[in-house]
Amino acid sequence: MLDYDQSMLDYLGIKDFEGLFSDISPKIRKKKLNLDPHCSECKLLQEATMLSESNRFDEYSNFLGCGVYDRIIPSSVDSIVSRSEFLTAYTPYQAEISQGMLQSLFEYQSIISDLMGMDAANSSMYDGPTALGEAARMAVRINDRKTILIPDNIYRNKRNILINYCAGLDVRFKEYSFDMKTGMLDLEDLSGKIDGDVSAVIVENPNSYGVIDENVLRVKNVIGDSLLISYVDPISLGVLKPPGDYGSDIAVAEGQQLGIHQNFGGPYLGIFTYRKELARKSPGRLIGETTDTTGRRGYVMTLQTREQHIRREKATSNICTNQALMGVAALAYLATVGPSGLRKIALATIHQSAKLRQIVSGNKKVQSNVFSGTSFSDVPLLIQSDEEKLNQTLRNNKIFGGVKLDRIIQNRYDRLKNAFFFSTTEKTEETDLMKLKHALEAV
Amino acid sequence: MMSFKQAKYDEPFIKDLQSRTTFETVSEDYDEGIVPSVMLNKEPKVPVIAEYDVVRHFTRLSQMNYSVDTGFYPLGSCTMKFNPKYADKIASMPFFSEMHPLRPEWSVQGTLQVMFELQEYLREISDMDEVSLQPLAGAQGELTGVLLIRKYFELRKELSTRREIVVPDSAHGTNPASAAMGGFNVVEIPSNDKGTVDLDALRYAVTDKTAAFMITNPNTLGIFDPNISEIAEIVHSKGALLYYDGANLNAILGITSPGLMGFDVVHFNLHKTFATPHGGGGPGAAPVAVNRKLADLLPGPIVRKGESGYYLDRSNNKLGNIASFYGSFGVLLRAWSYIKRNGSDGLKMNSYRAVLNANYLAKKISNDVRISHPGLKKHEVVASSEESGKRALDIAKFIIDAGMHAPTIYFPLIVKEALMIEPTETVTKKDLDDFADLIHEAVTSTQEELHKHPVNTASGRLDEIKATRDLILKR
Repeated sequence: MLDYDQSMLDYLGIKDFEGLFSDISPKIRKKKLNLDPHCSECKLLQEATMLSESNRFDEYSNFLGCGVYDRIIPSSVDSIVSRSEFLTAYTPYQAEISQGMLQSLFEYQSIISDLMGMDAANSSMYDGPTALGEAARMAVRINDRKTILIPDNIYRNKRNILINYCAGLDVRFKEYSFDMKTGMLDLEDLSGKIDGDVSAVIVENPNSYGVIDENVLRVKNVIGDSLLISYVDPISLGVLKPPGDYGSDIAVAEGQQLGIHQNFGGPYLGIFTYRKELARKSPGRLIGETTDTTGRRGYVMTLQTREQHIRREKATSNICTNQALMGVAALAYLATVGPSGLRKIALATIHQSAKLRQIVSGNKKVQSNVFSGTSFSDVPLLIQSDEEKLNQTLRNNKIFGGVKLDRIIQNRYDRLKNAFFFSTTEKTEETDLMKLKHALEAV
Repeated sequence: MMSFKQAKYDEPFIKDLQSRTTFETVSEDYDEGIVPSVMLNKEPKVPVIAEYDVVRHFTRLSQMNYSVDTGFYPLGSCTMKFNPKYADKIASMPFFSEMHPLRPEWSVQGTLQVMFELQEYLREISDMDEVSLQPLAGAQGELTGVLLIRKYFELRKELSTRREIVVPDSAHGTNPASAAMGGFNVVEIPSNDKGTVDLDALRYAVTDKTAAFMITNPNTLGIFDPNISEIAEIVHSKGALLYYDGANLNAILGITSPGLMGFDVVHFNLHKTFATPHGGGGPGAAPVAVNRKLADLLPGPIVRKGESGYYLDRSNNKLGNIASFYGSFGVLLRAWSYIKRNGSDGLKMNSYRAVLNANYLAKKISNDVRISHPGLKKHEVVASSEESGKRALDIAKFIIDAGMHAPTIYFPLIVKEALMIEPTETVTKKDLDDFADLIHEAVTSTQEELHKHPVNTASGRLDEIKATRDLILKR
């Protein structure tokens, strides 16, 4: 007990701590909390260090990607999001004392919608795939139709999230297919599936085969008044046209690559943007500009009447806690690397992917030109090997990578049965590529 | 009390810092000819700023932001306790933070061990049977719970009749919103005059059309519902399930548990109870625990311990997944650290002190504001300023002007001019006394005086109506 615990209890006229719980029936009292007793900070840090070191595999080359990527993170970004004034605050309910976070999030909305070529952005969702789930719900809310068209190669986990997010709606998902030659979406197949019941069409760029999908540019022309939802890689926007340029009504993205550590799956950042007139139908927190009593510029949360704490069961979403800090990370990242940096990073990635394809092309057991389309980061290779053997070979050669395509994609094409992904970033080096070449020769 | 003056910069909008980019990313300038020409964009629309200006900009902005590390933050239902620094240190260890989620299991045994142990800790704390760490924040934990309930009845072929989820009128807004998102009709029942569940109303509302009753206990008035076992019986007798909103768990660790109370589905808010930082609005993490009835439905994978080490088990998971990977590991890791550091004794002591502080503060302010539903409080206390003639909003602005964070205001909806105050265990008696003095000063001030506040914050009172009317969402 602290010295004043007892004086506080005395003030309340309660004998001891247990007296504070006399309203809880003995029948439901917990007999014992069966955990170890507390340990010192020093001991905890030792144990955590030991566990983290057991994950340490130096000298390994990394070719893992498929939605999450090991990219350069400027130290400034870590420093900024470690500011405890940002880190240990909560949602800026009291705007006057929270202008720092509010201005940062307003700036995030501005810079992210610019990057995506869209009119408006919310101040963050949980991650890319859940942002996509919310986008599908928003589309149905806008036009009250019952079909969502999705790519047939969409990642399994994204598909599951879409299904779960729409479980409460009377909605069905239909798939459109891909051109096996180019690896791009099949425009004819897609347009043939459009009818008056299609609420929205989801396109991805780069798509789930890792291909820069040139056909997304023509989708808007063939879908009538159905909505276009785009899912993009924000790094690719360093050189690729943003989703606003090809008529997207809603555009979402996974923001992990913008200065956020891989962290074994999270926390990440759901980027969510749209045409401004759709704002009232949109989910998530929005920061708006206004003035204070003296006429100075300031920021507040706005359109809160869409949100759960006001609208309850009629809210546009149940989201409350979001990824505000990750939004600040993405903003700081973009501001630090600048347009020239982002462009170089994107170009370096495409070049490394092209080099990867080229470097293994002499290997008879590997087919590197699976598609004629340009790979962005994820390169599928057809390898004449079973998964286990390949994994062993990669491990022997100190390589992480080789995610089997049909583990992450519900694959319907025989030709892709032996496809494995190897992904590049601007951090991929010549020596990594040579190591991979060498390893695949041993398959 | 200390005098308070928040930093107040005329901080430029980020695009107005335009100068030159100084950070070097990739030295080589690759040829753009490799990009398919139809897709090529000449230059992304991103501002051009020197790295040092970026850091200065955000440093100044951060100084215009109040936080737990700045001072007392009694925001009700948000559990704004101190975020221990050892957890920051552990979360930034590179062999935790740099792990790709698709790394093979043999290469991330340390990470998997942390997740496995956290699952075990949460099972023990809640007395539930199985835990999924996947959901990413409280509301997503709720959605997961609602979808589990949906799947449960779908498999029992009862979904076509069980279309309703019942919530009390004191529920967090996320409860009805999550229920509706999962496709259920929401039935709201009134609280009784003690602020707890009206059993007659519950008996009337729960029928064979009911899928679940969602509540938090202690509830949003800070009251532990003494009839919880009877509530569980009423709900279960109609074949419905009982959902525990874990937002208010901080009061009862080691004292009772959702499992002992008879709940079927539970979500935890790691950013509340287990002290992970709130990040200015997020990230959070909200693992979901269930009893045996629902164990094989949980979203996954679940981490298991086998003979050759830890592995990700995807054998059940009938709900598939609700997030891409295994949850917000960076947040899970901090919660693991907190539980290990505090241990069985520390966690219980934290609950003791959180409850002591809430009750102490309730009594301290009871002459100035009306305590809604008197009696023992748990994690928080709700007061009404109605009789003082002062608006909760004005009191809040007076408090922030003195350098403390305001309570949650105008919630729960069933209390007029509500001030919802959650002190947590990580404050001193002096903080509580100072806060009580502020409440006294506020209610004894004139209306005119209150309206002048705040003046010591980075901004004066802001015009929310103008923000809605102009709807400027970007510049």
